[in-house]
Amino acid sequence: MITINGISKEFKEGITGKRVRALEGLELEIKKGEVFGFLGPNGAGKSTAIKILMNLIFPNSGTAQIGGRDVRDSEARRVVGYLPENPYFYDYLTTDELLWFGGRTAGMDSNSIRDRSDILINQVNLQSARKRPLRTYSKGMVQRAGLAMALIHDPEVVILDEPMSGLDPIGRKMVGDLLIELKGQGKTVFFSSHILNDIERFSDRAGIIIGGRLKRVDTLQNLLSGGKNLEDVFMREVALAEGVTAV
Amino acid sequence: MTTFWPIALITFKEGIRNRAIYGIALVALMLFGATALIATMVPREVGKVAVDMALSTISFAGLLIVLFVGINLMAKDLDKRTIYTVLARPISRSQYIIGKFLGMILLITVTMALLSLLAITAIIILKNIHAGYFTRFSWQAIILADGLTVLMLIMLSAISFLFASFTSSSFITLVLTIITYIIGQSLSGVKALLEAPSYEIGFNVSPMTIKLVTAVYYLFPNLSLFDIKLQAAHALPISPSFVLWTVLYGIVYIVLSITLAAIIFRRKEFP
Repeated sequence: MITINGISKEFKEGITGKRVRALEGLELEIKKGEVFGFLGPNGAGKSTAIKILMNLIFPNSGTAQIGGRDVRDSEARRVVGYLPENPYFYDYLTTDELLWFGGRTAGMDSNSIRDRSDILINQVNLQSARKRPLRTYSKGMVQRAGLAMALIHDPEVVILDEPMSGLDPIGRKMVGDLLIELKGQGKTVFFSSHILNDIERFSDRAGIIIGGRLKRVDTLQNLLSGGKNLEDVFMREVALAEGVTAV
Repeated sequence: MTTFWPIALITFKEGIRNRAIYGIALVALMLFGATALIATMVPREVGKVAVDMALSTISFAGLLIVLFVGINLMAKDLDKRTIYTVLARPISRSQYIIGKFLGMILLITVTMALLSLLAITAIIILKNIHAGYFTRFSWQAIILADGLTVLMLIMLSAISFLFASFTSSSFITLVLTIITYIIGQSLSGVKALLEAPSYEIGFNVSPMTIKLVTAVYYLFPNLSLFDIKLQAAHALPISPSFVLWTVLYGIVYIVLSITLAAIIFRRKEFP
């Protein structure tokens, strides 16, 4: 469902234009109905990879497809729901209006938007705030409104960049429940996180990215085989990447 | 249109609910009040002063809306990264720019229509009180002047979109738009001065300077063309061909600015 073929990305930094490599030859295939956790420390290249998938930035080399369509084609995003890290929306719009916008741009009619909005607003627990301007929302509420917007058109593929970031325990549970529900519905979920526990709880398969290079991709079962925990596996990869003897 | 409309509508809603709009409306109301006071201080010229001041107020308030609400509508998407979630929808970047601009046109048109209504009310009240001083008066000229002001504001907004497509912050877009406005309003006057015979202006202008000013004249929009407040205040005849060419000039400039903005935007990255 999601294919990334040898993507590399460099950014120019500062006024000197020094080139910094953010991704190097990323190869990844995520199958339909799979929940894939993208794990890595801060600055590892998780968000860069996701932004390339969303066509927000362009790779220096390599290609990416979603549902068989090149990500540069806007139609590829018809089947995608996306939540960026720390989302920000229009100050004076309400959640209802935000969902209307999300639904209309995905080609939904007014009745379908209304029905789906009711379900999602209930799910993200924003019933009492749905007609309030988004500028009055807390960070967690904005995150939840963003999740509802990502899911308004019932997408086949859900891409979430650090979906638990900035949420309180109740919000984290709500996102966790949503991930489980999406998995149950057979959706393809690609989410990034630097929180080991989230990857361990929700993913079928996980990829560990460090310094722009994908170090390991495997099923959770294989990653944790022999009684290992994800922290050990992750720290080992970090140590190997830094050229230190495994801990 | 199905793709442009949702973007245009949220842009309009976000703009019209902005608190700055209420501030600008308040300033405009005060200026319309001042129009009534000042116009009556100029005996025999009440009509001319009233029309000139009312049209100037509309133009000034519209300019504030374009600079402080309009630019924010586009630039905030980039500054605050709201654009991530907007471009995540199945819309192209050109559709985003055009939808956003249509929303801006809607905002300018609606706010200017409301302001014009206030201006017309102020003029009608003064006309009823001082009917004798409104002998040379033309509603047609007033509406024409108002329409050209709206077109000028839409044009300035299109230029601000062009700047927003390649600058990295709303502040730079604001500064560039203000500079363009100042140049656009004064350039034809400067060009006329430099091209006048040296015995009339009292100094020699090098051919290089004239060439430079001419180049800048064609590059920047000639916004002073759209300012016919004086003709409207004095109810002077306005040639239909002038209006036609000015409207055409404005539309061509808008289309070029938005097309260029869309082309640049297609290549822009949002890291």
